[in-house]
Amino acid sequence: MTGRVIVITSGKGGVGKTTTSANIGSALAKSGQSVVLVDTDIGLRNLDLLLGLENRIVYTLVDVVEERCKLKQALVKDKKNPNLCLLAAAQTRDKSSVSAEQLKKITEKLKKDYDYILVDCPAGIEQGFQTAIAGASEAIIVTTPEMSAVRDADRIIGLLDAAEGIESYKLLINRVRPNMIKANDMMSVDDVVNILSCQPIGIIPEDTGIITSTNRGEPIINNEKSLAGRAYINVAKRITGEDVPFLDIDEPKDLMGKLRKFLSGLKQHGKEQ
Amino acid sequence: MEQVLNDNIYVIDLGEINTAPEIIFELSSVLDKDEAKNRRICLKLGSVDLNQAQLLSIKSLINGIESTLSTIDTKSVATEKVAMSLGIIISNVSVENSSEIAPAMPYKTAEEFKEEKAAEEICENNNVNNEELNSIQNTSQVETEMAESFDIVEESENIEQNQNAESDKQIDDEIVEEPENITNADSDIKEVNNREEIAENQNPDVIPNKEEVQDELDVIFGSDPVKSSIFEQAAPEEIYEEKEELADIIVPEAEYTKEDIELETYPTKYIKQTIRSGQVINYEGNIVIIGDCHPGCEITAFGDITVWGVLSGIAHSGAGGNQKARVRALKMNAIQLRIANCYSRRPDSLNTVFIEKTNSFTPEEARIINGEIVVFKIND
Repeated sequence: MTGRVIVITSGKGGVGKTTTSANIGSALAKSGQSVVLVDTDIGLRNLDLLLGLENRIVYTLVDVVEERCKLKQALVKDKKNPNLCLLAAAQTRDKSSVSAEQLKKITEKLKKDYDYILVDCPAGIEQGFQTAIAGASEAIIVTTPEMSAVRDADRIIGLLDAAEGIESYKLLINRVRPNMIKANDMMSVDDVVNILSCQPIGIIPEDTGIITSTNRGEPIINNEKSLAGRAYINVAKRITGEDVPFLDIDEPKDLMGKLRKFLSGLKQHGKEQ
Repeated sequence: MEQVLNDNIYVIDLGEINTAPEIIFELSSVLDKDEAKNRRICLKLGSVDLNQAQLLSIKSLINGIESTLSTIDTKSVATEKVAMSLGIIISNVSVENSSEIAPAMPYKTAEEFKEEKAAEEICENNNVNNEELNSIQNTSQVETEMAESFDIVEESENIEQNQNAESDKQIDDEIVEEPENITNADSDIKEVNNREEIAENQNPDVIPNKEEVQDELDVIFGSDPVKSSIFEQAAPEEIYEEKEELADIIVPEAEYTKEDIELETYPTKYIKQTIRSGQVINYEGNIVIIGDCHPGCEITAFGDITVWGVLSGIAHSGAGGNQKARVRALKMNAIQLRIANCYSRRPDSLNTVFIEKTNSFTPEEARIINGEIVVFKIND
């Protein structure tokens, strides 16, 4: 078995990389794929918290790299889904503890046993970022419809273009607020897509449920009522190759036409490629 | 040179060999034999110092023939430390635990432990046909269980309501809470200065513990021998009496052993600051922390750990193998508790967003009973 290694990155902090990793990972695992989440944000780990696995971590990525334990010993199984594993980052160390080659070795090993390896990248473009993208062949760039996040995403796309090994990347637009777009206070999804000229793989609406789910340590995909949860499940489906239309994240009907137009535009765009 | 102890344990005696390459050579020739396969291997080493890489290669040699390296018997302190960091048990031949990691069990509260005890007793009593006692114990147990489960339901309801209604407020609450901490702020600043001074005067010999040796960025505090000896003299008697009181009620305490003496003769480090996420404290002795230990910090001591505050990080007492070591805190919320070679995780039911600081904490103490970590309240 050769799994796919996907890095989830953004450049800017706080746009939802870790939330995205946790939810896409859980959604993929829920659909029957075997998934490993690798947290490379050494020193500022959060992924364990979002999955509610904080109290189960004994060995970390750094322990594996420094050969204090075997790789399998460091993989923490999820509480609910046995298909999902977490390789946590060390909290008491820093980014220099793991080099790009070392992470690449680990992802190569994991590839043999798992379908998907999702690498949660730290914010920034320094060593941590370079390490995280080392083993990956695909990337998901998370951004929000704010100028600062879009600029940073643009920078990241440039770096990914230059990086060896990254074969394809997709855009995930997070925290979209249809009401604000309608009032012209926020960039619309197609604005972002135009600026970055990168195909989107998902559009996630702003959802207050995310805060609750983070605090509880339960990914939001388990909450069927949540729009964001459904959007993440759709992203996971698109990753596996399913053709899922983009979720209608807008309640008022005025924007429907706009979104439909945008979607049909996307489909055409897709066919052209 | 080698012998089979019982069905499973295979003892290899390399006590007379004094260099690492020779050990590996000898070992590989012994391991070629069929009888070494699928066994738990106990390695007897002499005074030779092995480093981590050497021990790892020995381990992988043994794993290669589908055996596990379960225990090591060595005279070298260096080898012992390395082996401990790799999770290999140090001892004489008779130890039975294997080096594999068992999934962490949630730590028990004293009530849970009592209930289990009661259940065991009921089984025993059934054998004696003492029906009266049975019924009494059964009802009392059911009552306590009902009372508890009711509590839990109430709690979880509260939590849900709070979380739904105040999910945004929670952040505010945390911010509001901070001013309470500010009382510590002055001392914190002083401590930071102290730390810098200490870091300069740091005694290289005191670099503490096994796996963290190469860890240049760790927060390592130097020890002040004069100070620590004072604390050491002042503390033990009182604490020990307390232990006795606790012990009388629940489990008869084993007699005063050399481990107790060891705990009392350890030096004690006294830390007066909040320990935050990512900070590591290692010490070959007892640690007393006046302040909170936030989630994400790691405290490792050869002796006891006492926290005058909320303990939310990882605490490892008795890291040198002392089974009598304990962890005490005003509020026990530790993500993981490790004592000697036992470890346990926080029960998922206790997974609250943050601990509300009140004036009415009940101090708690964790210790090993029958190989399990049990948390006792002070009034248990």
